[in-house]
Amino acid sequence: MRWLFSLLSLALLGAVHAVSFTGSRLLVVLEDAKEQEKYGVFLGDLTARGFHLTVESPKESSLSLFKHGERAYDHVILLPTKSKGLGPALTAGNILEFMKKEGNVLLALSSEYATPTALQSLLLELDIHIPSDKGALVVDHFNYDSTSAEEKHDVLLLPYPKSLKPDVKNYFAGEGVIAVPRAVGQTLGNDSPLIAPVLRAPSTAYSYNPKDEADIVEDPFAVGGQLNLVSTVQALNSARLTVVGSSEMLQNAWFSEKATLAGKAVKTANRDFVEKVSSWTFKETGVLKVGKLVHYLDEGVSKKPNASSAVPENNPKIYRVKNNVAFTVEISEYSNTHLTPFVPATGDSVQLEFSMLSPFHRLNLKPLSQTANSTIFGASFKTPDQHGIFNFHIKYNRPFLTNVEEKRQVTVRHFAHDEWPRSWQISGAWVWIGGIWVTVAGWLAFVALWLYSAPAEKIVKKTQ
Amino acid sequence: MRLLSSFLPSLLLSGACVVSAASSWSFDDATLTVQPKGAGVSAGAKEKLNPIASLPKAVSLGATDTLKLLLTTTEGKKAKRPHQAFLTLTDPTTGLEESFILSVKDSGKGKVDLAQKDLPIQFLTSSKPIQASIVIGAFGSSTPYKSKVFDLNVSRDENVPLAIPEKPVRYAAAKEIHHIFKEEPRSPPSIISLVFVAAVIGTLPVLLGVWATLGANASHLGKALGNAPISHALFYGSIIAMEGIFFLYYTSWNLFQTLPAAGVVGLVAFLSGSRALTEVQERRLAGLR
Repeated sequence: MRWLFSLLSLALLGAVHAVSFTGSRLLVVLEDAKEQEKYGVFLGDLTARGFHLTVESPKESSLSLFKHGERAYDHVILLPTKSKGLGPALTAGNILEFMKKEGNVLLALSSEYATPTALQSLLLELDIHIPSDKGALVVDHFNYDSTSAEEKHDVLLLPYPKSLKPDVKNYFAGEGVIAVPRAVGQTLGNDSPLIAPVLRAPSTAYSYNPKDEADIVEDPFAVGGQLNLVSTVQALNSARLTVVGSSEMLQNAWFSEKATLAGKAVKTANRDFVEKVSSWTFKETGVLKVGKLVHYLDEGVSKKPNASSAVPENNPKIYRVKNNVAFTVEISEYSNTHLTPFVPATGDSVQLEFSMLSPFHRLNLKPLSQTANSTIFGASFKTPDQHGIFNFHIKYNRPFLTNVEEKRQVTVRHFAHDEWPRSWQISGAWVWIGGIWVTVAGWLAFVALWLYSAPAEKIVKKTQ
Repeated sequence: MRLLSSFLPSLLLSGACVVSAASSWSFDDATLTVQPKGAGVSAGAKEKLNPIASLPKAVSLGATDTLKLLLTTTEGKKAKRPHQAFLTLTDPTTGLEESFILSVKDSGKGKVDLAQKDLPIQFLTSSKPIQASIVIGAFGSSTPYKSKVFDLNVSRDENVPLAIPEKPVRYAAAKEIHHIFKEEPRSPPSIISLVFVAAVIGTLPVLLGVWATLGANASHLGKALGNAPISHALFYGSIIAMEGIFFLYYTSWNLFQTLPAAGVVGLVAFLSGSRALTEVQERRLAGLR
C-alpha cells in the first residue's frame, strides 16, 4: 500500500516540480501589462514551481481577493503601481482579511513610484515603517555597484544575509552578491516578535531623498542596520507577508547581471535569492507539520514508542502523581517538494510543557529517531506531586517557521489507598507495630491468667 | 604623503584596492573635547584625532559631560563638504550601532555634540568601551572614508537610577523547568527504631515477671478443662482466632472478608464464653479464686 502511495507521489512530483504547502493559486497584481515582460523570469520561475498565475490590474473591476467569503487565491504578489490608489479590492482591510484567512502576500515597493495609501496603512498596521516622502531611497558609498551606479551609489551589492540569531534557521543563505537597486528602506517596530528582517542594509548605508536640495544628509529616515531592505511578518495563523524594498530586485535585468563591487567584477545572484524569498513567503519552505503525538506510562520496561503512522494515537486519559511518563511527537518540515525530518537550529529545541495553568515541567525534546520524512522527538519525566487536569503542551513559535501548537489533556490523580507503602516498609513505624503486637500478646496472657490462675494468697494463709 | 597615509585605512576597510579612484575622503584638524557641565569653552581635555590611527587611550564621557567633535572634511587635500558625515558608535559585544550626523558647512568644517542623554541605553550599560568611527562619503568616484578613531568609555553616575526598558518578546527556546517535588517522608535510622522496638518487646517479659512474683499462675487450667473442656477450648481459641483475624486484616484481607469471619468467631466466643465464665464463677463460689 505504502509503495503504491510513494509511486503515486513520485508521479505527481514528476508532473509538478514543486508546489506550496498551502495551495498554488497565485495572483499577481500589476498595473501595466507591458511591465509583465520585466518580471518575466521571476513569474516564469513561479510557474515552473507549480503555481497557477493570474495576472490582474488593480483597476480591473472583477478583481477580488475573495469569492463566496473565502480566499479566491492562496498567495498574492503586489508589484508597484503608478497610481496612488489601489482600488476597492485591495484596501488595507482586504489584504489583512486575506492574511487572516491564511493567505500570503509578497509586497514589492519601488522608490520610483509613491507607495499607495492602502499599502502604507497596511504596513503601518504591521508596525513596518517606510519613508513617507516619495522617492526616498537607500544609498551606500561603500557597497555600491560601480558599473550601473557609479555616480549615484544607489544600487547596493550585498552578501547573502546571515542567520538572524544563532538559534534561528536561515532560509535565505547562499553564495554570491545580491543587487538591491534603488530600495525603499523599512524600519521595524521593536515590540512584536512576529516581524523579522531578512536583508539588512550595511552599517554605512542611509536613506535619503534625491529630491532634497541639500547637498548633505541632515535628517535621514534611518541609517545603517536599522534599515531593512527585505523584511517579513508571520502572523499567529502563520500567514506570511514579505516586503521587498526594491521591486527592481525581481526584474529580469538584475537576475544575473554583471556588476562591479569595489573594483571587482561580480555577478548578481538575485534569481536565487528572490527564489528563496518567494518560496519562503509562499510556504514552500519553513513549514512545520506535526504528526503523531504519543504519551504513555513508562513502567520501567523499555516499551518502544510506536512510530508507525498507521496506528492511531491511543493515549491514556489518566495518570497518577509521580508516574513516569514518556512522550514522543513526530515533526516534519516541508521543504520545496516534500516533507523532510525537522531539525531545529543549533541551540534551539522543541519544548514540551506539562502544565496546569502554569507549566510544572518544561523540557527540551530530544530527537530520538528519524523516519523518511519526520523526526521523532521525545522526553520522559515524572508527573508532578500535584493532582489535577494537566496538558501536554507544545508551543513552538520561531522566526521563519510556521507556528506549532499542540495540546493533549490528561487527568493526574492522587495515590489510591492501596498504593501507599505498607507500614512495615517504613522503619519509623516498627516501634508502633511492635507496641501493638506486644499489647496483643499481653492481652492473651492476661486472659489466660484471669481464667486459669489459682489463688496464691490463700495458699500462703493456709500455711500460716 | 598625507594622501597616501589617509588612503591606508580605507584600503584596509574596503579590503580591495581602488586604484582608479581619483581622490579619497578624509578629515583634518580634528579635535575632540570632553567638557564638564558649566565649565568654559576652553576647559576639558582636548585630544587631536588622527585619520589613520585611533587614539591610544579611551575617551571617558561622564554623566554631565558633553563630547564635542570638530573636524574639517577633505577630499584629496582640499576641504570639501561630503554628503555623508557620520560619527558611528558600535557596541563591540552586541554589534549595536548608532550614527550621529555631523553638521558640515560648505567649508568642510563639521561638528557634533554628544552627551549621555543622546546615547541609547545599551551604550550606557555596556561593559566594554564603545568604538567610535567616522564615516565620510559622497557620490561620485572618490573613495569614502571609514575608520575607528577612538574608544568611548561611558562612566555613568551610579547614584542615578537608570530606567532600563523591558526586553521585547522574541520567540526563542525558554528556560527549562523541572518540577521540584515535595520532600519524601523520612524515617529515622532503622537502628534507632530497632532499639526502641527491643525496649517495647522487653516490657512483655517484665510484665510477665512482675505477675509471676505476685503469684500469678495457670494451675487451674487442668481443673477448668476438666469441668468444661469444650467451652474453655473454644472460648480461649476464639480469642486467639480474633487476633489472627486482625493480623490477616492487617496484612491481606479487606473489610468484607474480615467482618463475616469476626462475626463467626465473635458468636463462638459469646456462646462458649458464657459457659466458660459460668465455670469460672463456680470456682469463685467454691472459694477457689
